[in-house]
Amino acid sequence: MSAGTPPLSTLPKPQAKALNCPQCGAAITLRALGHAETVVCESCHSILDAKDPNLRILQTFQAIIGEVPPLIPLGTRGKLRGTDYEVIGFQRRGIKVEGISYYWHEYVLFNPYKAIRYLTEYNGHWNDISVCKELPIVQFATANYLGEVYKHFQSSDATTNYVLGEFPWQVRVGEHAAVTEYVKPPRVLSAEKTANEVTWSLGEYIYGADIWKSFNLPGSPPEAIGVYENQPSPVSENVKGIWGAFLAFAIFLLVLMAGFDLASSKGTAFESTYTLNYGEPKGEASFVTQTFDLEGRTSNVEVTTSANVSNSWIYLNFALINQDTGQAWDFGREVSYYYGSDSDGSWSEGSTKDSVVIPSVPAGHYYLRIEPEVDAKHAPISYSVEVKRNVTVPGFFGIAFLALLIPAIAITWRSISFERARWSESDHPPVQIQLGNSEE
Amino acid sequence: MFRKLYLAYGFLVLGGTSFAQYHGWSLDRINQLKNVPKSVRDNPGSYRSVYGFYHHYTGGK
Repeated sequence: MSAGTPPLSTLPKPQAKALNCPQCGAAITLRALGHAETVVCESCHSILDAKDPNLRILQTFQAIIGEVPPLIPLGTRGKLRGTDYEVIGFQRRGIKVEGISYYWHEYVLFNPYKAIRYLTEYNGHWNDISVCKELPIVQFATANYLGEVYKHFQSSDATTNYVLGEFPWQVRVGEHAAVTEYVKPPRVLSAEKTANEVTWSLGEYIYGADIWKSFNLPGSPPEAIGVYENQPSPVSENVKGIWGAFLAFAIFLLVLMAGFDLASSKGTAFESTYTLNYGEPKGEASFVTQTFDLEGRTSNVEVTTSANVSNSWIYLNFALINQDTGQAWDFGREVSYYYGSDSDGSWSEGSTKDSVVIPSVPAGHYYLRIEPEVDAKHAPISYSVEVKRNVTVPGFFGIAFLALLIPAIAITWRSISFERARWSESDHPPVQIQLGNSEE
Repeated sequence: MFRKLYLAYGFLVLGGTSFAQYHGWSLDRINQLKNVPKSVRDNPGSYRSVYGFYHHYTGGK
């Protein structure tokens, strides 16, 4: 609260004055005596001249039966953005777009030492509105206010169709105003043009829960439906930051991969070449290699098999066996390579090389048991087996890259969807993407 | 908030990747056996691979 502005709760109510409606005789309390231009009788809905000592009748209107009462009752006091206010007026306004009527509610907030503020509510979305201190500059579809650029959202003709309480202007049911709105979430800039004047106001999105807390209202606010024109996106602010973080992580991932690759032992632990001539193997095909050492900490082992297969295959049953502990890693690998040409052109399948990475192999003395299988009628096949220790597994880094990329894409997609939902209600709806044939 | 969550998640991903790489994990499925007899070295035929009856591909396009 600013200095010199006593809270309403500490003030007596000398400004309030009890009067009677000249139309129906019901009691009327003037809460903003001296500030209100009009006051509406809650009983017969006559609009009365608050400046007139006899409360001259300005207009009578038939309230719609079943009209929703104000969510914040008139006379409710609360503290909004550090200032005490009292709700003194309520009106319902509406626009018609493509034959459909949309209504919102406006609450007039009064503090004798501050300018009038307003709260608006549409489908559970609230805005805290105040009159602009400077005149915005409108250029094409944008408005510049205090150095911030607002994008045009909607232009419509608003009609007041229900009023209650006091108003600091000559309110009338049925009065029209051309409303033009510009948005820069969480703010909205509105121009209301009547026959006599143009009023610019600035609104800031406020959550219903905050209003309920500010005015100490019972229960909970109505749930917000859909996306409102100046509703702040829960994710949009994060999109740039997340892509920045993704880029940093991706670079770090590359550095990490390069670091592991540099740190890995480049040497070959074992390498040998074997040949299967025509008709071989005969009988028992399996054999064991000489013993080789795998050194260092427990890490992976890569076994690479290369074979000069040509429109043929070789299958190798491998077992990497620890000579001392009897621990073994059993796996089968196929090397096959086929190629040719047909009506679609040349083709090829498979490869003459195959690699497999055995996980978490402790240091020790090892040998390989190899059992080759080949086609019964095969040309001589030469194959080599190479064993490497502690190799970099690019797959891990590929998975990590995807794991980092997917949330960034998901958040971006969510942000785009939110903005599409926002602008779909505007005069500038996003282009709809048509999938398949549209029906005429 | 999303950015902080993503940062925490990103560091977790990088940490997990480093851990997996350092400890020599693999994406390949390898069957591990224990207590293979030492006689395999002298008699390789006494060991039978679980992949011994693999049905290889012989097709091509």
